[in-house]
Amino acid sequence: MNAPKQLAEAVRESLRSVIDPEIGLNIVDVGLVYDVDADGSGVVTVTMTTTTQGCPATGYLRQGAEEAAARTAGVAAAKVNLTYDPPWGPELMSETAREILGFG
Amino acid sequence: MPGASVARWSMSYFAAALACLLAGLALMAAGFGYPSQPAQAPDTLVVVHLVALGWLSALMLGALTQFVPVLVSQKLYSDRAPPIVLACHFLGLAGLLGGFVGLGRSWRSSVFLLPAGGLLLSLGFALAILNLGATLARNRPLAAPARIVAAGLASLPIVFGLGVVFTLALGGWAPGAGAARLLADDLSIHAAAGLGGWLTLTAFGVSYRLLAMFMLAPDAGGRLTEAVFWLGAGALIMLLQAVPGASPRLILAPRVLAVVFGSAAVAIYLWEVAGLFRQRKRRKLELNSKMSAVALAWLAVAAIALPASLAAEAPSPAPETLLFIAAFGWLTGLGLAMLYKIVAFLTWLECYGHWLGKRRTPRVQDLVREERALPWFVLYHVAVLCGAAALMLQWGVAFRFASLAMLCAAAAIGLEVLRIRRLAAVPAELAPPEGPPPLLFSRLRPTNA
Repeated sequence: MNAPKQLAEAVRESLRSVIDPEIGLNIVDVGLVYDVDADGSGVVTVTMTTTTQGCPATGYLRQGAEEAAARTAGVAAAKVNLTYDPPWGPELMSETAREILGFG
Repeated sequence: MPGASVARWSMSYFAAALACLLAGLALMAAGFGYPSQPAQAPDTLVVVHLVALGWLSALMLGALTQFVPVLVSQKLYSDRAPPIVLACHFLGLAGLLGGFVGLGRSWRSSVFLLPAGGLLLSLGFALAILNLGATLARNRPLAAPARIVAAGLASLPIVFGLGVVFTLALGGWAPGAGAARLLADDLSIHAAAGLGGWLTLTAFGVSYRLLAMFMLAPDAGGRLTEAVFWLGAGALIMLLQAVPGASPRLILAPRVLAVVFGSAAVAIYLWEVAGLFRQRKRRKLELNSKMSAVALAWLAVAAIALPASLAAEAPSPAPETLLFIAAFGWLTGLGLAMLYKIVAFLTWLECYGHWLGKRRTPRVQDLVREERALPWFVLYHVAVLCGAAALMLQWGVAFRFASLAMLCAAAAIGLEVLRIRRLAAVPAELAPPEGPPPLLFSRLRPTNA
């Protein structure tokens, strides 16, 4: 079994397969993933948000993140928590995402 | 955590609305109603209500069914109400239009069709107010954009209340001088509460959120948005004051105040939305945002010209031209721009939402072909400009050609929307295994976020 830190990093990489459909970039670069926590038994907890509270895509993004996290090698169980504290803002995007959207 | 889901019937609303827009434009191109006939002629009323109720109101009802839950992050109060509202709305509209057609041709059926149509429409609107109002009430206190939508909904009883009274008067149930005076006095309130209150205030509330979302701009909701709400509500209260049978001297001040409050609300809204465009993080605007900006420019024209026209007591055709600009430049312009985006977004959710994290999915933007749609949007707005000029110059033939161009443009935009729904632009390798969704409704069940 991977060490918790390595496992969390692997899950973060898996989450890049899930896109925010409106922005068109993966949820990690968009800054929707606030935290990935893994314990020693392979249980992973992802804390994430959406760009807009109440967005109809919320359920799908959460479910997609859960699927992607659970698929990662070494993950025994994956749980996704949604939070709006702090609320998402474009400043949370990665440098890559900012450059693509033209406000780097 | 509760949240919004895909509204099952929004596509039915949008399709029926688009059909009414095309029918209305076809009638205008054929010379049916104003300016070939007087502004209050029965045939003109057919076109006006086909556009105001069939197109604009149905579009707004369908959009609110989807976006009121987004505004308050709650589920729609009732998923069973929207198809009932839709049926009441279009059956009522059919009765009303049949009544207007018969009125111009002295058919006896108008006596019953007009009030029956008016009552059915009112029933549909009342049910929509209850459903949307109960959804809004689930997340009090409301943010300013949601309160602006609530103010728009609160305008509706003025519109349909007066509308029912008019149908009774026109149907001959309230004959004589009283009916004629009522029509002369309160028609402007009916139109102002409809276009200015119901349609424009709700468009303000929804567009604050949608424009911020689509352009990655900061959410509105500060003191300026609060001011728009209070001024809009003030204008509405003034309109309400002007309704009962007060003396002409007493009803003058509320009408003037309604215009002052309404114009101030529009000015602040435009200033704030211009700020959203300036502060946006998405530097390259999508087509829907660009075309929304053109619609906002039409709103500015109408908002500047309306007080000037009233102050100068401008005679026909100035008021009719302003109404044309408000209905086709501002509201239809914004409606077509948003429809283009909303259909793509909802279609994506239906086809790809459940595939997130399981397989590669396209972006929402991959469902549209902006380069195909852009010329038609440009043609539409140029045609609106020509139509407004033709109305001002009272050049009937030019107005019909402009209407024909608007019809062609709107039909082409409608075809682009149909292509989005059929996933025509999506590469084969990204096509969903289930195929395209049904055209007129969503096959999704509400989901928990």
